This record gives sequence, C-alpha cells and structure tokens, in this order.
Amino acid sequence: MAASERAAISAEARAGIRRPVGRGTVSQRNAMVGLGLTAPALLLVGIFALFPLGFGVYISLTNWPLIGPYHFVGLANYQSLIHNPVFLQSIVYTLKYTAIVTIPIFVVGYALAVFVRSNRPGTTVFRTLIFLPYIVGLVTESYMAVVELQPDSGSANFVLSRLRIASGTTAWTVHTGLATAAICVLVIWFASGLTMMLLMAGMQAIPAELYQAARVDGASWWSAERRVTLPLLRRSIALSLIISVIGSFLAFNQFFIITDGGPGTSTQSVVMQIYQTAIPGQDVGLASAMSVVLVIVVGLITFVQFRYLQGDRD
Amino acid sequence: MKRAGYLTIAVAVASALGVTACSSSASSTSTSSASSFGVNATGTVHFWARQATDGPAIALTNAFNKSHKNLKVVLHLTPPNDDTSQLATAIRAGSPPDVVGLNDIDVPTFSHESALLDITKYVNALPYKRALSPGHLALATIGSKYYGVPYLADLSVLWYNKKLFAQAGLNPNDPPKNYAQIVTDAEKISALGNGISGFSFAGNCQGCLGFVMLPSLWANGVHMLNGPLGNQTANVASNSQLKTMLSDYQLLWSRKLVPLADQTQNGLTWGADFEAGKVGILPGDYGFATKMTDPTEFADAPLPGVTGNSYSTFDGGDDFVIPAGASNPSGAWEFIKWALEPAQQQQYPTQGDTPVRTDILTPSFAAKYPYDAVALKALAKGSVEYTLAYDAVYNEPGSPWFKMFEEAVYSGNVSGGIQDGQSGIQSTVDSVKT
Repeated sequence: MAASERAAISAEARAGIRRPVGRGTVSQRNAMVGLGLTAPALLLVGIFALFPLGFGVYISLTNWPLIGPYHFVGLANYQSLIHNPVFLQSIVYTLKYTAIVTIPIFVVGYALAVFVRSNRPGTTVFRTLIFLPYIVGLVTESYMAVVELQPDSGSANFVLSRLRIASGTTAWTVHTGLATAAICVLVIWFASGLTMMLLMAGMQAIPAELYQAARVDGASWWSAERRVTLPLLRRSIALSLIISVIGSFLAFNQFFIITDGGPGTSTQSVVMQIYQTAIPGQDVGLASAMSVVLVIVVGLITFVQFRYLQGDRD
Repeated sequence: MKRAGYLTIAVAVASALGVTACSSSASSTSTSSASSFGVNATGTVHFWARQATDGPAIALTNAFNKSHKNLKVVLHLTPPNDDTSQLATAIRAGSPPDVVGLNDIDVPTFSHESALLDITKYVNALPYKRALSPGHLALATIGSKYYGVPYLADLSVLWYNKKLFAQAGLNPNDPPKNYAQIVTDAEKISALGNGISGFSFAGNCQGCLGFVMLPSLWANGVHMLNGPLGNQTANVASNSQLKTMLSDYQLLWSRKLVPLADQTQNGLTWGADFEAGKVGILPGDYGFATKMTDPTEFADAPLPGVTGNSYSTFDGGDDFVIPAGASNPSGAWEFIKWALEPAQQQQYPTQGDTPVRTDILTPSFAAKYPYDAVALKALAKGSVEYTLAYDAVYNEPGSPWFKMFEEAVYSGNVSGGIQDGQSGIQSTVDSVKT
C-alpha cells in the first residue's frame, strides 16, 4: 500500500468514517431491494408490453393470415412496405394531420389554462364545460359530426350559410381537404380540454411568490408569463405535447367513423390502414410489420420530444 | 416455487404457443353416422352470431332452450367488424364455438382453409335441400362438398312510394322494370318539388352500393368476376350492362333526381328519407320493412335487371357453419335443423330477415308478410359474387368498386371509371391469397 493511501485511510479513521466491510455488499443489497420493489411492475410490463411486442415482431416476419397456416418470410413484409403506396400515403397523411392539430391543441389548451387557473367564482364550471368533450369521447362526437356535417340538414352547413360563408350544401365528408379540416376542428375541440387540465395543474404548482417578485421587479403580465410560467411549465408542456402527438399518430376512430378513409384512401390514417390490412385484407403478418414501423416512428418522435422539451434535469 | 410449478407454467406456455403456431386444424367428418348425428344430442351448444343479426339469434336461442331440456344453446354475439377476427382467433386458439352464424360472403375464407366441418352428407339428407337459398349454399360449397347451410337471408329489394307514384301520374302498381324506367319515373317524381326526390342511394357506403347494384347485373346474367378461385378475371371493361347502369346512376345524380345528401350517406341513416315519404324509388334492404307502417304508401318489388326482362337479389345474410374442432357438432346440427324448420323460418320476417327456404312462400305467408313475400320470391333467383376478395373488391374504403362508382357518377367520367375499375378489381383479386 502506498504511503499516500495509508495516510488517507488513517484520516478517514480519525474523522469517524467507517468503510463498509465489503463496499459492494451495500450497493448489491440496495440493488436487490430496488429490483425487488420494481419486480412486480417489471413483470407486468414484461407480460403485457414486451412479450406482445416481441410476438408482434415475430408475426411481422411471417405471412400470418387471418385464418390458416403460415410460414416464415423474413423481411419480405418490410420490403413490401417500401413499395406500398397506400401505406406510405397513410404515413404522410398522418404526419400532416399530426402537424396540423398539435400546435392548435396546445395553443388553445394553454390559453384556456391561463383563463381557468385562478380560483375565481365560476372557473370550476368553466373548466368542467371545456373538459366535457374529452369525457364524452371521440366516438360519440364523431357520430355527431357525421350528422352535423350533412350537406342539406347538418348544423355546420346551416350556420355557415347563415353567415354567408358557404352555400349550405357542402359535402364535407367526401372531399379530402374539407373532411380533414372538419376532423381537425373536431379533434382540437375534443383534445384542448385535456391539454388545459395538464397545463393548469402545472401552473397552479408554481409558487405565487415568484409572480410577486416579478411584479416587484416591474415585469409585465407577458414578461411574467414568458420568464416565469413557461420555464417552470416545461415538463407539463412536454407531457401534453407528447400525449397529443402520440394520440394523433394513433388516430383511428374519427377517420373510421367520419370518412371511412375516403374519398378513396386519401384520409386513411396509419392505424386505419393497419386495421384494413389485418381484418378485411386478412394479412396479419403485413399489418404487424406496419405496426412495428409505427411503433418505431412514434418511439423516435417521442424520444426527440423528450430530449428537446425536458432539457437538463433540475 | 417448486420445480413442478415451473414445469407446469412452462408446459402451459409451450402449449399456448404450440396451439398458436399450429396451422388450422383439418376439417373432419369423423363424427357419428348421418342417422344419429344431430339427433337427441345433449350438453351445451355455443352459438356465435353477429350483432347485426341479433334479433333472430336471440329469438331462436330462447325458443330452442324452452323446447329442449337436454340440449342448451348459449348465444354469444360478436361485435360489428370483428366477427371474422374473433372466429379466426378462437379457431387458432383451438377453442371454436360449436355453431356460427357467419356472414355468407366470409364463408369461403374459412372453408378454403379447412377450418369448417364438412357437413355434405347431413345437408344432402335434408328433405328440403332443393328449396335452400342457392346463393347462400353456393358460398358454403367447394366442389361437391358443403361446409355450411343457409341460416338467414338479408335481401335487397326495390322500394317505391305508391303515393308519390300516383301524384306523379305513374301507375302505383307498376314499379320500374329496368333502369331506363327508373330514370324516367324518377324525373316525374322529382318534378313534384317540395323536397321530393325521385330516387335515392347510399352514395358513400361501398357495401350498400354493391348490395343493391350487383343484383341488377346478375338479373341479366352478368357477373363482375368470372372463373374459378385463383384464376378469376374481372368483367368490367367489356361489361355493357355495367356501363349502362353507371351511366344511369350518373344521370340520376347530375340531373339532381336524388337528395344531395346521398353523396355522404354512409349507411348510418340509409332509407330514412324514404321512410319519411321524401323519396320515390329506393333500392334497399328488405329489413327496412320493419319501419314501413303504411302498406298503402310503401311497397317493394324485385330489383330489376339493368335492361329488364328479369330480376334478382343479393343473397346476403348468414350461413350456419360448424367450425372444425367444435366440441359438440352433433348438438350444433340438431340446433341448425330445428332452426330451418318452417315454424322457426316463418318467424324471420318479424325480425327484418327473410327465410332461407323458398318453400316457405305459401299464400298464407304472402298474405301475412307481403313485403317479405317479394323478397322471398326473389331469393330463388338470388346470387352472390363467389370470391375470397369480396371485402377487398367491394366493401373496403377505397375499394376499386367504389373508386369506379365515384369516378363514374360524381365526376361524370363513366368510361374512365370503368377503365380504372377493370385494372383495380383485377389486381385486387390477384393479390388475395388463395
């Protein structure tokens, strides 16, 4: 042992520091405790997430039909996806749809959160009303939209014709652009309430003293919002945006009900394309390959969002 | 955990994977002889039926259980759009139901994978076999073998409003006999004004359009797909009947003889405008009959051929099938035979469905169910498109059939639509595995 090491040990002894008998023993014990505590959760994740995911990957490497025998086809399903115009179109369409709705959902949700974050009288009722569309659910609202978007009897056309914006005979659901616009408006109305709740919870957790200090320093409302609220709300914003983007990528109900993917396949989302391939198309192997690609794309986007929006840990 | 415990779990997992990995079990007729099969069976019969046909399924199950002490039927309704996937999953898992009311267009998908019991000798033994719906039976047939038997018929007919016919100066007892007459009658009825339309169709419902348009081709002896499975050819480009029919639909649309909302009608409220007395002619479902309360106003007729001379109907509805590996096939066949007896068949119209035996059509039946008598008469001339690709060709969003309809009717490009239809339908049929 070198003289310097001996000196260090004696200094530790004088300071009353006791090295563990086996330094690794404590950390090993901690590791075991940690493993024991997380084991139930890990088991559940393994059974209900990892095993199905792995089995899905396995199916994607076969020609698994809806019914009947199957065999291993390697990467043939993935290769065919590269040349599958309908699948590629559905990915592009879903990306466009996600890009269109994400920012409005966030902006509207943020504005509403600012409006309802205080405890003024009536805000509870207002919060409830804004959150109501999320509680009612997108399936019900999509069916309502089908009725309200009818060319000669729906309320959308009635209101627009009274405002002299449209003729009142617009066939919203059978034109790609109009149908997409209608669905985006519906989804923004549906999802803004959830964003509002997430951001409002984050805003209410910011200490009031920080705003008082900002006011003392002469900060305007906008400055306080920009320099106090936004930085401290970073994680809530990240969470709401991630939920919003994942939800948009996995969109199915509204397209299935309102347009059925039409006209043609022009409003077919990725998940709808997967469903069409697996059930009516009876090609579960190919549909699984599509699902794996979707999982990878969503995973990558979520990872990037985390990196950008979470920033350095406190 | 003891070694035995681990082994038990390992065996269970291996069994589950093994069952999953297994190809479908081969069909088998290794049951009892024809004379004892389906006679005095005991135990439980698990019956799967589609939610869409819950009315007759519930009524049959309840009535059977009341009259049979030793054999019990347990009904399970499969949700819309998930009936085939649920059945496929059950078969793959090795625990299929005993009898299924399967949408008849889906039967070939299962029978060609040997997933259904060969019931040829039992069907041949039925004294009324010749009276069974030909279309339903055709879909359950491979060569000379039967893998199913008709269960219930959901047929397409031509509805028309007798009051509007009379107001328009038309004979209320002379429904259109061809498409040219449909157009001229629709023009006269639309001329009544006040929001009255001469004709109506579910213009954004792929399946509905096939359901009411294809029979008019079949009536004239024309099918969209010809040839045996695996070697089918699309009969579109040279199909003059199809061209006439699409041209007439285009005329009806462009001359505004149909409600504007027809373009977005996806089937959810199909027929509502007719039931409200706002439409003169509606090719539709016989099931609408349950909402037609006034026989002096509403009447139905067989769907005419495009150029007349005959009529037909879409032999829609369900077939009874017994999955291979069913635990109580004898009980299932006893239930099926009972359901096909006249006493049960005669109850179908009350649920909006049609019997699958043409010999049920007697004068007393016609007097009691005049609407259904029309449908049942058409059943004898009904047909289907026999293909494994029916959903892909006709029912799916963006199906080549619907693209052709959109291009021809809404865009006014009949020739272009037909050209696209020929290539689209052919490539779709070719791509479906046989």
